[in-house]
Amino acid sequence: MRRLLRALRSEAWLGRLLVIVSAVVLIVVWHFWARTNSPLILPEPGPVLERLLDYVGSGRANPHIWITVQEIILGFALGGIAGIGLGTLASEFGIARRVIMPYVIVTQALPKFALAPILVIWFGFGMTPKVIIAALIAFFPLLENTYLGLTTAPAEMLELFRALRAGRWTTLTKCKALHAVPAVFSGLRVALMLALVGAVVAEYVGANKGLGALIIVSQGTLDTELMFVAFVQLTVLGLLLDQAHGLVYRLVMRRLYGSVGAEMRAAGVSV
Amino acid sequence: MNDKTGELSGRGHIEIDGLTKTYASDAGDITALERIDFDIAPREFVGIVGPSGCGKSTLLRCVGGLIAPSVGEVRIGGDVVIEPDPRIGYVFQQAVLLPWRRVLDNVMLPFEISGRPTAENRAKALEVLEMVGLSEYLNHRPGELSGGMQQRVSVARALVVEPSILLMDEPFGALDAQTRDSMNVELLRIWYESQTTVVFVTHDIGEALFLSDRVMVMSVRPGRVQDVIDVDLPRPRTFTEVEADERFWTLRQRIREQLN
Repeated sequence: MRRLLRALRSEAWLGRLLVIVSAVVLIVVWHFWARTNSPLILPEPGPVLERLLDYVGSGRANPHIWITVQEIILGFALGGIAGIGLGTLASEFGIARRVIMPYVIVTQALPKFALAPILVIWFGFGMTPKVIIAALIAFFPLLENTYLGLTTAPAEMLELFRALRAGRWTTLTKCKALHAVPAVFSGLRVALMLALVGAVVAEYVGANKGLGALIIVSQGTLDTELMFVAFVQLTVLGLLLDQAHGLVYRLVMRRLYGSVGAEMRAAGVSV
Repeated sequence: MNDKTGELSGRGHIEIDGLTKTYASDAGDITALERIDFDIAPREFVGIVGPSGCGKSTLLRCVGGLIAPSVGEVRIGGDVVIEPDPRIGYVFQQAVLLPWRRVLDNVMLPFEISGRPTAENRAKALEVLEMVGLSEYLNHRPGELSGGMQQRVSVARALVVEPSILLMDEPFGALDAQTRDSMNVELLRIWYESQTTVVFVTHDIGEALFLSDRVMVMSVRPGRVQDVIDVDLPRPRTFTEVEADERFWTLRQRIREQLN
């Protein structure tokens, strides 16, 4: 008992416990609240879980999940490559920055989702419009974070490279790029989540497959339970993507800074 | 002397000739350095002291080719300096190690940049790391080392290319007094072994006197050469001997008066 109390006093354990307790409370509230409502408005958690298990277990969910995952990954990859590439160009060449930045600001000012209908007209109901929307949204955080990471290498490091007569390419690859790794990864994380949102919202506009399409279909058939099943699947998908990002990030940081250094950096200690 | 040493000593020769450095600012031009004339012989150890903001670091940067003089020139081994010179090793106030590289890889950096990371150069890197007493830390990351050890890595990185000139910009200023003393003793040993010319900027008069053959005293902005002091203390020097020497205190007093 005393041991348990001591464990609870450590913030990490207490945090975990509170997360679990609050989640249970939320589900219980959901359960009782749902009972006072029609299942068309709010289905109960139990039936949602049953439906989810059946839906996933029977394999009917797979095509939808697979389509959405492909859209996210493709959009993320395209937006990511463009963002990192243009961010690098902008950070290295003043002229590139002057040309790229106005376009970036204008495209950022335009809400990308507003483009979804025209993209559907141009590219049809397939994956293409969703990939484009996801890529457009994923692009900006990576452009910005890459630019930020590359342009904030410490002045002393750059002077060292100059004293060692390093060229632009060497300075970029051996100094700035490695310095930019944490910034780029935090951009990747945001981009990944935005790519998910982009893909799903684009599916709302016109799609026959995908988790977003599933939500629209269940809306049309008043199958609220199925809608909740899609919500759960999207949440799990988002969590998995974020975990995958975290795993890769930790591996890269450990490779760069060693286990101790990586931990200190993660904790915000500059070494 | 054979030809090789003759050539080597010529390379370590620094001539500063009528050097003036001005910076443009909103309030008009600021003169950081004014008409500096100074000659440094090969293998000489020269200390530069002066009040903060007198342009000590600017002078060192001009010698190292990191910035260009506004008027006048710097010559190394007779060649006018227009860009960073491969014969120069630089040690900055901060160790400036790349935190993602292990100690050995940090010392190999100059070779990687010049495209010569050969086995032979790796052996050189191991040798200088041995010289600065870090043989057991080859695979450590900079973040795992103390400040003094980090600065030793940076000294090793400067020495590994066998420079004929070592430019040091307050290299031990950020270290605690004890570490600094031991670094100074080590530096003199390394200097003796490597036969390089050393230009050492510091704000610590005692440190400058302990290390140097000559000390250049600079005036407050615009930086000028206010005095040049020959330090005729016998070598090899130890702190105990130097501090027991009357001449050390006389010179120290003389510099202190000029700085006030």
